[in-house]
Amino acid sequence: MIAVVCVDDRGGMLFNRRRQSQDRVLRGDLLALAAGRPVWMNGYSLGQFGPETGDLRTAEDCLDRAGKGELCFVETTDPAPWLERMEGLVLYRWNRRYPADLYCTLPLEDFVLEERREFAGSSHECITREVYRR
Amino acid sequence: MKQGRRALAALLLALWCLLGGGCVSIEISQAGPGVTAAPEDIPAFSGDPYVVLLDNEPGFTESQLTSSSYETYSPLDQLGRCGQAMACVGTDLMPTEERGAIGSVKPTGWQTVKYDCVDGKYLYNRCHLIGFQLTGENANKQNLITGTRYMNVDGMLPFENMVADYVKETENHVLYRVTPFFEGENLVASGVQLEAKSVEDQGEGVCFNVYVYNCQPGVVIDYATGESRLEERTGDEKEYVLNTSSKKFHLPSCSGAASIGEANRQDFSGSREELMNRGYDPCGACKP
Repeated sequence: MIAVVCVDDRGGMLFNRRRQSQDRVLRGDLLALAAGRPVWMNGYSLGQFGPETGDLRTAEDCLDRAGKGELCFVETTDPAPWLERMEGLVLYRWNRRYPADLYCTLPLEDFVLEERREFAGSSHECITREVYRR
Repeated sequence: MKQGRRALAALLLALWCLLGGGCVSIEISQAGPGVTAAPEDIPAFSGDPYVVLLDNEPGFTESQLTSSSYETYSPLDQLGRCGQAMACVGTDLMPTEERGAIGSVKPTGWQTVKYDCVDGKYLYNRCHLIGFQLTGENANKQNLITGTRYMNVDGMLPFENMVADYVKETENHVLYRVTPFFEGENLVASGVQLEAKSVEDQGEGVCFNVYVYNCQPGVVIDYATGESRLEERTGDEKEYVLNTSSKKFHLPSCSGAASIGEANRQDFSGSREELMNRGYDPCGACKP
């Protein structure tokens, strides 16, 4: 399973049960990265995606169900407890500060950075995508 | 178009004042019009730049949730202090030009003072109630208060970013209200209440109600005048590193401090007793 997480400058993910931010260009980038592989997510995250999108699979326990080589887009849970299930990580950085009450506490030192790329979002000047493997 | 909306909003605000709604700045001794925070809701500052009020539920009425953009600013009170500011933020209110100079405005309690412990040195910023990125207001004296760097950058800015980016991405509206709290006749606000709710999706995208403290760690502020001084250190005050997740505190030299993730790490200057009172336990390795 390859976890996909969006974070702000302090590793924040969520505030008051709501995502910190969203961006349609980022969603397109994620689907392009998946390149047809299944992308798991929960019902809250699915609400961001339109009907025309790729192989999206929805389950509230998506972190348990995403299989080898499959992506899991995580917005509402700190994925750290699933570290041992992860083959890799895709980290999208908003490069902004938002309020947060849920943080991603994955130890990045347990991963190897393979690629870092910056792109302009639809409402964010610069989003950074980092691809890691275990 | 924006000026027309502002004129209409100002007219409505004036009418509301005439009808007794009140538009003077809020005294901390009583909640003001449409203000959901009461003094007993606001705990003393304990190291976080803001505190959540009323389970993050803003106090807007259904009739206030409109999908037409507007912005209103209260007249200054007899002491020259700002009052409540409110906007229904849409893309049409957002700035299209670079931010201009605001140095000509001297909000109540304004002092130009520098400390080495402050990011950027200057203790005070001319702090927009409704951030420039939301409504493009530059040197509007009804929208600028004397705010600490800490309140401006660590407290208010993240919330403004969240609202601005949501509006830009969705082209929805966010109802946004900022209420400065002045205690008695103080010239510097004790803090500001920020409330926001996204309109078209009934708060699914953005919803918060927080109080942001107008303080600066390491500096003592006289809110009556704006004068300030460095906090005096007593003998038992030291530097510690906190793990806000595990609620352990460490000496800065502890290996346990070095391994704390950025999200859970917080630097602290103060006494051991203060940390214990806040629910923190000493690390068993470095025994701070």
